[in-house]
Amino acid sequence: MIAPAESLALENISRSFGAVRALHGASLVVRDRTVHAVLGENGAGKTTLMRVAFGLVRPDAGTIRVRGRTVTIASPAAAIALGLGMVHQHFSSVPAMTVVENVALGGRGVYRAKHVRARVREVCELVGFELDPDARASDLSVGAQQRLEIVTALARGARTLILDEPTAVLAPREADDLLGMLRRFADTGGTVVLITHKLPEALAVADDVTVLRHGQTVLAQAVGAVDSVRLAQAMIGGAPPIETRHERRAPGAIVVATRALGVRDARGVLRAKDISLEVRAGEIIGIAGVDGAGQHELLLCLAGRLAPSTGHIERPADVGFVPEDRHRDALILDFDVAENLALRGSGAARGRIAWRPIRTCAAALLTEYDVRAPSADTRVGTMSGGNQQKLVLARELESRPPLVIVENPTRGLDIAATAAVHDRLRNARDGGAAVTVYSSDLDEVLGLADRLIVMFDGRAREVPLDRDAAGRAMLGAT
Amino acid sequence: MTDALTSCLEASVRTATPLALAALGELLVERAGVINIGLEGIVLGGAFGALLGAGGNSLTIGFIAGCAAGVAIAALFALFAVTMRADQIITGTAVNLLVLGLTGALYRGLYGATGAALTIPTTGSVAVPLLARIPVLGPTLFDQPPPTYLVYLTVPLLWWWLYRTHSGLAVRAIGERPDSVRVAGIDAHRWRWMTLLMSGGLGGVAGATLVLSQSGTFAEGMSAGRGFIAIAIVVLGRWRPMGVAIASLLFGAASALQYLFQAMGWRAPYQLFLALPYVLTLLALAGLAGRKIEAPAALGRAA
Repeated sequence: MIAPAESLALENISRSFGAVRALHGASLVVRDRTVHAVLGENGAGKTTLMRVAFGLVRPDAGTIRVRGRTVTIASPAAAIALGLGMVHQHFSSVPAMTVVENVALGGRGVYRAKHVRARVREVCELVGFELDPDARASDLSVGAQQRLEIVTALARGARTLILDEPTAVLAPREADDLLGMLRRFADTGGTVVLITHKLPEALAVADDVTVLRHGQTVLAQAVGAVDSVRLAQAMIGGAPPIETRHERRAPGAIVVATRALGVRDARGVLRAKDISLEVRAGEIIGIAGVDGAGQHELLLCLAGRLAPSTGHIERPADVGFVPEDRHRDALILDFDVAENLALRGSGAARGRIAWRPIRTCAAALLTEYDVRAPSADTRVGTMSGGNQQKLVLARELESRPPLVIVENPTRGLDIAATAAVHDRLRNARDGGAAVTVYSSDLDEVLGLADRLIVMFDGRAREVPLDRDAAGRAMLGAT
Repeated sequence: MTDALTSCLEASVRTATPLALAALGELLVERAGVINIGLEGIVLGGAFGALLGAGGNSLTIGFIAGCAAGVAIAALFALFAVTMRADQIITGTAVNLLVLGLTGALYRGLYGATGAALTIPTTGSVAVPLLARIPVLGPTLFDQPPPTYLVYLTVPLLWWWLYRTHSGLAVRAIGERPDSVRVAGIDAHRWRWMTLLMSGGLGGVAGATLVLSQSGTFAEGMSAGRGFIAIAIVVLGRWRPMGVAIASLLFGAASALQYLFQAMGWRAPYQLFLALPYVLTLLALAGLAGRKIEAPAALGRAA
């Protein structure tokens, strides 16, 4: 068999941001009509490399070839003209506009909604998507928003599709569907570059795999020629971190209990319905559910951040709360470490702040929780995501609250930081706290939980700790 | 009574004209996510430009000069607020202060400290054949100075551009999410510049209208807050061309009512009527509170 021609080639790409070398000498050669997985830890340079390919970042050095021709890609417009399409991790559609308007963006001349609508239908049929052309992007579910991004890229004529961590926001079934669609797209003449940090995903769907570490290509092979151990070693550059073993003890007294709880979101929509559950000291309750199934409002209510609209809740006053979006809800990036630590409970605090003890305590916490920051005066915005998250955990767990509520605790963290966060949560449980964890990554929930609750359409159901059963329950099947 | 009504309506449209021109321009830049407080300065600069241009007794050159002055001031704003990504509110305020000072100084320098006797010819009204003969509506809508007809043209044109062309779609998208339109191959800075220049032209003509179609003279600070009112009109008009036209008329009518009531011998203080449009704006904003806010999401944010 003759190897297919190359579709996209990036060779010896280097790029620095200030003193940080994001890429130095990274290469990626994607064969035509294949799915090519790009693996790497956070900060390995995967996204930067793809941004170079899409004209969003100018490389300092290196060459780019598209279908064998050396090109300069100065802007996304140039990349689109070369038949490249990118689906970003953070969606780029305009929320206030309809599917049709979003797809039409970037065109020229008179805008005829009818023509674009027909084009959307055509592309959807081609790839087997369901998408209402006249729905507003803000009303779409996360999965549908992603389909919109893919349809947009294809409608603009993309033959090579670059997707940045596309399954991170999807339920397992949706993720499988997406990977299946990408496979078919490659089989019918397209090319896919799949950026991911999930090994099984890469092994399941890709033809070739490239691993980046510290801005360099450390491995580039056909999937058949490697196994997951070698890939993992290539990604982290050594043996994978070993998780500490934990002895489970029998759960203790009930810490939080709800009866027929209903919670509305900020817009007044009833998100969580008729929820009765209890969490005991010394156990981790895992919560799973597709985005918008009501878990977010339930957790906010358990944490005392949102008042219930109906039903009863009994909860302790002191709750350790790690919200999903640490930049928006947990930290003030322009404040330093000590100031961010002082924020806990500051809504109820009065009078003068005694900074000296806070700074002493901050320094101790940095060591204890292995937060890599030069000192308590370090501005939090300059720290890495993993260290920021460890800092939030340190703040929320330090007072040993009886109840700990955690949402997507390892979003955007690499393997080592993820292991550290998981360890902390298990320690909190072993120390007698009632812990409730929600993650959009079902495997993470299953790995942590002692009991599993699945949310669907606002209702909660306890499900055995089993991947298939949980996956079905997340989509409403019984 | 019909006469009084007709003249009141006619005055409403006349007063509304410069407001509508300025507000339609502001509508455009706000759809692209820029809030141009400097509109007040653009209107004032347009008025002064019109005075200079009409010095040779040509009204056409007056309007062109007013338009050009507006474009030049808008370009200054765009240079700072778009290209250099300076804060839009501060840039706009600086532009206003600059234009106020500059026109004042130039006016005194050129025409002496008083400049009181300065009068220039005005356009007068141009009746549209046939249409002007419709009772009440005819003289109200179709016997007006030329800038009013420019409003009639601009409203549908602007609507068509915003909703029926790809560039209009791009402008609306920039107002919602300037950072993400880039990946669609759209140059946000370029379109913000374009809309600002267009709005400068419209705002300049609005200022020229004050001089060349209404007062026949220039006075320091004669824009008298019309640029700011135009910004309120955009909010009241819900960022839509037709809405802005109607909201302008409402503000025009509120000013005209004041004359009508004075003519009818009402003794209510005139400030009450002056305040009416602002009260309406507040009520309209309060009415929005419960509903989905329609303002461009990225209004005021750098791109």
